[in-house]
Order: sequence, then structure tokens, then C-alpha cells
Amino acid sequence: MRTAISSVSGHVKIIGVAAALALGVAACGGGGAGAPSAGGGSTTLSVTVWNLAKTPEFTALFQAFEKANPGVTVKPVDILADDYPEKVTTMLAGGDKTDVITMKNVTDYSRYSSRGQLLDITDVAASADTAKLAGLDAFKVGDTYFALPYRQDFWLLYYNKGLLAKAGITLDGAPTWDDYAKYAQQLSSGEGNDKVYGTYHHTWRSVIQAVSAAQTGGDQLGGDYTFFTDQYTMAVGLQKSGAALDFGTATAQQADYRTMFGTGKTAMMPMGTWYISGILESKKKGESDVDWALAPMPQRPGSAEVVTFGSPTAFAVNKRSESADLAKKFVQFAAGKAGAEAIAQVGVVPALQDPAITQAYFALPGMPSDELSKKAFAPDKVVLEMPVSDKTSDVDTILNEEHQLIMVEDKSIADGIRSMNERVTKEVLN
Amino acid sequence: MASVTTRPAPIAPGAPRRRRPWRNILIGTSFILPNFLGFALFTLVPVVAAFALAFMDWDSYGTPEWVGLENFQRLWDDESFHVALRNTFYYAGGHIPLTLVASLGLALALNQKLRGVNFFRTAAFFPYITSLVAVAVVWNMLFNPTAGPVNLLLEAVGVDDPPRWVSSTGWAMPAVIITSVWRDMGYYMVLYLAGLQTIPKEYYEAAKVDGANAWQRFWGITLPSLRPTTFFVLVMLTIQSFKVLDLIVVMTGGGPGRSTLVLAQLVYREGIVEGQFGYSSAIALVLFLIVFGVTVTQFRLNERRNAS
Repeated sequence: MRTAISSVSGHVKIIGVAAALALGVAACGGGGAGAPSAGGGSTTLSVTVWNLAKTPEFTALFQAFEKANPGVTVKPVDILADDYPEKVTTMLAGGDKTDVITMKNVTDYSRYSSRGQLLDITDVAASADTAKLAGLDAFKVGDTYFALPYRQDFWLLYYNKGLLAKAGITLDGAPTWDDYAKYAQQLSSGEGNDKVYGTYHHTWRSVIQAVSAAQTGGDQLGGDYTFFTDQYTMAVGLQKSGAALDFGTATAQQADYRTMFGTGKTAMMPMGTWYISGILESKKKGESDVDWALAPMPQRPGSAEVVTFGSPTAFAVNKRSESADLAKKFVQFAAGKAGAEAIAQVGVVPALQDPAITQAYFALPGMPSDELSKKAFAPDKVVLEMPVSDKTSDVDTILNEEHQLIMVEDKSIADGIRSMNERVTKEVLN
Repeated sequence: MASVTTRPAPIAPGAPRRRRPWRNILIGTSFILPNFLGFALFTLVPVVAAFALAFMDWDSYGTPEWVGLENFQRLWDDESFHVALRNTFYYAGGHIPLTLVASLGLALALNQKLRGVNFFRTAAFFPYITSLVAVAVVWNMLFNPTAGPVNLLLEAVGVDDPPRWVSSTGWAMPAVIITSVWRDMGYYMVLYLAGLQTIPKEYYEAAKVDGANAWQRFWGITLPSLRPTTFFVLVMLTIQSFKVLDLIVVMTGGGPGRSTLVLAQLVYREGIVEGQFGYSSAIALVLFLIVFGVTVTQFRLNERRNAS
């Protein structure tokens, strides 16, 4: 009897040590995950951001907020831009307590809000100057708001003044797409390394699809995409004739639109307003010497107004935040006048529309000062890049896959659009 | 306690013989326990949980809801799943035999007594330790349809209309397979080299005396003697091929269209991107069963061969 007990207790001891060791290892492993939320208290506010070093608006906003609220420290949680949605999804699923979550796009917003991961901030929205806040509607879910936009980007046409002058082209007002295609042909020149393209269409589907939807009134979630036809015909025609870098090459060499325009490889480029701060920055650093200006997005023939598309960026409060009041205060600050001033300083387009802020914006060193650029900055209508619904991301995947097939010329435009129609109807809408 | 353990245990007649094995097992277990606990906590439990999730609907936030076989039914109707399944088999069907042949060929070539053979062995192993992202980016440049060296070379030797590689649906997968074979062959070459060292030289001497030529020696001695290595390489390659993700994500992102979409990528997309963890787990379960099935079959075949 005694033998048994003594030997068993011996084992218990060994196992106990082993278990303690293992637990120690486990504890070390687990420690990291909980760390970001530790050391909270009401005076530290954590905010998820992407590419902090290259996205100056965040630092500008944080500094302004800290200055306006002495004793408060904003702690950015920096995430790689490409991984941002996946990382935030994982963080929220894992019960992360980061106070403010930046909504990089509306699609992600709809996911987080429908999963109940964000705090209802309708009270903050009610107190803001909502009439002037561009893009606010995109964040309305029923009668509730879970985020407020602080920045509103929309698309316009960047052009290289030198190259256009050399070709004898002057822009006044928004060109039609036909004119735009004609200019692109005239502007392309050279061969091999000296090749200059007339225009550059980045590989995103929005370059073709969102703009057609905005200008024709088509519905990207509707299941009938014949309204893309004209835009695809133009884009495929341009790349076939060599007036635009072809999609396949752009994908294969992972072409960077900033390099394309900043080094004068392309004369024109439809792109979002976020690139303004980028181009100002690269000229200041001496990486680019392009002489640039802005024109409104090209329009369909006979269009009386300037219609483009865009998407707002917003701040939301994490439902698990332990300092929700401070977080709400930050969201309100960013959407308000002080926030708008702070980000306009670094060349970012604020959601709050105010003549004084626009004026200050164009007064930034390096900004073009001609009338057309200013006109380009005030389009008549900005349509949301992609409508928000629970079908958005599934439709997005299909439209993107078929977009690639059309643009690499694997499918004809008609075939590509037909399979968009079929797939969206069958796989998503059914 | 301490005093109890330090005292030598008096041996009761008859009993110890049966207790010894028990004791050994316990001690042995305690040695592997730290490792096993780590494995259990971070691998076994999540895997079992993922299997359970395959029968649930879960968006990573609310309470998982039991839905039975609904996820699998959806899988059956999901065209993207069928595309990804076909592509995964396509990739495996290209990657496994080509890597096997390439690594065996390399090993045979570098098993000779050559000047600087160590340099060539290292060079062949180099792709394997190179960062995968760098490999993918560089190969993408090589495969550039208009200005890439691969196509310039093809044009130089008279191919008028060279493939557009990653920018075409038909050639994207071959481009990925070529890249992955290049990357992996060095690693399996090392395994084959090790296998080659174990073949006794006497066999070859005896065969030479009997007048066997090089091909007969390879076919009659080298290949059969390498069977254990080949089996191991085959199993590893199969598992690796079916769960391919990283190279494809960096090189093509599954495109153009869905031409290089593979199962592991679909798991990632449905789970992490779309937040449908139940559905994603169902796909993962199918992927697991495929890999498991193929591997078990390989083991069975190997056993039967060993027996005969």
C-alpha cells in the first residue's frame, strides 16, 4: 500500500513540474494578446490606423485632439494597409478593446455594424453639423449611426500640364469620355523605356465599374451590368492601342499608380483625391518633379452636371471600448471643424464641407491654383463607390473576378458582362 | 513529500514486475507532456473546434448556431468551391510529379564527384530558404508578358506568340507551378542526396561486373533503394501541394478571374475576409479529408509494396 502511494506521489510531483512548465509557456503565449488593452484608463485612447508613417492625417488629427484635450494621449495601433480589414476583423472577433476603429471603407463598416461590434453613436451624429458632412448617409443603418466620416475622397482626373501643353491640348471643364480617349491617343508617345502612356487605368474594378454606375445611374448590386459596356469598350480599346498600360502588364509588375503619374509615365490618370497628399509629399521630398493639375472626372456625352464617385472614411467606437465617452468625443472632434482643419493642413480632403477649409486647402504649398482644378474639387454629385448591403462583398468578389477576365482580354466585354449577370443572379441574389 | 520520494521503495514480492511498465509510461509521458500540452492547446483543440464549426453558422462574434449539414450543402452548390477544387488538383497534379522528377534529377547530378559540387548543392538549395514573397515578385517580373526575360527569350528562339503567363487564365497556373517547382526542388534534392548515400557501393560494383549499363543500374538499383525516400518525399509533397496558399496569394491573388483560386485561399477568403467561419471551416474540413485520404492511400500502397 505504502509503496503505491509513494510512487504515485513521485509521479504527481514530476507531472506537476511538467504542467507548471507547460502553463508557464502557455501564459507567455497568451500574454501578448491581452497586452494592447492593458494600461487603459480614461486618459489613453487607442485608435486603429494603417501605415501611420505614410498616412499623415492620423498624426495630424491625433496631435490636434491631444492639444484640445490636455491630459489625453492617443495611442495609434498601426496596421499594414493591405491587411487592415482582415486584421481588424480578427481583432474584433477576438474581443480586442481598442477604443476607436477606423472604417477604411463602407463595405467593412457594414460588416462590423451588422455583427454588432460597434457602438451606437446616433447621439453624436445628431449633435454634429450633419448637413455639411459629406458621405454621412453611407453610415446610416436604419435610423442608427455607428460611425461618422471625417474624410471624403472622390475621383477626379489628374493630368501632367507639361505633356498636355506639348500636345496642344487644353482642358476647360470636364471632358467627355470620347474626348478623353482621343486625348489619350494623342498623348501617348515613345517606345520601350521612353514610352509615355496617354492615360493610366489602375487595376481596381472601380476605375471602370464604379464610374459607369455613378454616371449612368446603374446599380452595382442589381444583377444587370450592361451599363458597364461603354466604359469597358473605351478602356479595352485604349489598352489595345497602347494608349494605356495594359492590365496584364500592370498586374504582373504590380504597377504603382503613384510611380506612373509621379515619374511622368502617363499624361492623365483618373484617381481618387487621396493621391493629392501623396503627390504633394513626393514633390516636397524631390522624388517627383511632375507639373500637375486637376480636372473634373470625364463625363458621358450630354451630361449637364459633373458626376463622380467616392467613398468616405470614418471613425467608429468599439463596443468593447472601456473609455467609450472619450472615444465618442474623438469621433465628434474628427468629424467637426477642428478635425477638418487639421487634416486639410496635410492635404487630405475632409468630410466636412466648408468654403473656408477648401480655401485653406488650395492655399497649401504645391497645390495647383488654376480655376479648373478648383472646379474639379467641387463636383455636382458624388455617388458612393459601392452600395452597402449584406450582398456587397459577395457581389464585389464576382465583379472583380470578371473585371480581371475582361481586362486581360480573356473574355470579350459582352461575355464578361453576361457572366457577371449570371453569376450575381445565381450565386448572390437567387 | 520529499522524504517519501528519496526513500528507496521497499519492493513487495510479486508486485513490481507488473508495476514497472506503468511507471515507465508515466515517466515517458511526463517528458513529452510539455510539448504535447503546447500541441494540444494550440493545434489539437483549434483543429477539433474547427471541425465542430463546420457544422455551425458563426460570424466570429455572436454565438455559433448549429446548422447540421447546411454548410456542406452550400458547398456543393458553390461554383467557386468547384473551381477551387479543380485548381487545387491541377496544381497538385503539376507540382508533385515535376518536383519529384526535378529534385531526383538534381540529386543524381549533384551526387557525382565534381569540382565545386558543394557550391552547386548550396545553389540548388538556395531558393528554398529565400523569402517566398521575394521569389513570387521576382518570378512575376520574369513572367512579365511584354518585357519579361522569359518571353523575350521565347521570342528570341522563334516563338511568335509567347504565353501571357500570369495575365492569362490558361497560363497562370503553369507559371505558378514552374515557380513552385523551382522553389521546392532544392529541399527535396537534399532528402534524395541523403537517400543516395545509404545505397551500398557494392550493389553498383556487382551490377557493373554483370554488365549492367547506367540506365539499368538506375532502374534496377538506385530507384528501388530510394523507395523509402521517395515515399517520404511523395507524402510531404502531397500535403504541401494541397494546402498551397502563400505563393498563389502573392503571385496571382487567385486571378485572373478564378483561374488560380485554390482551396486554402477560399478558406481564407470565406473565413477571415467574409467572416463566415462556419462555411470556411466546412471547406477546410473537405481539404483536410482530401489530404488525409490521399496520404492514407499512399501509406496503404507503400505497405502493400513492402509486404510483396
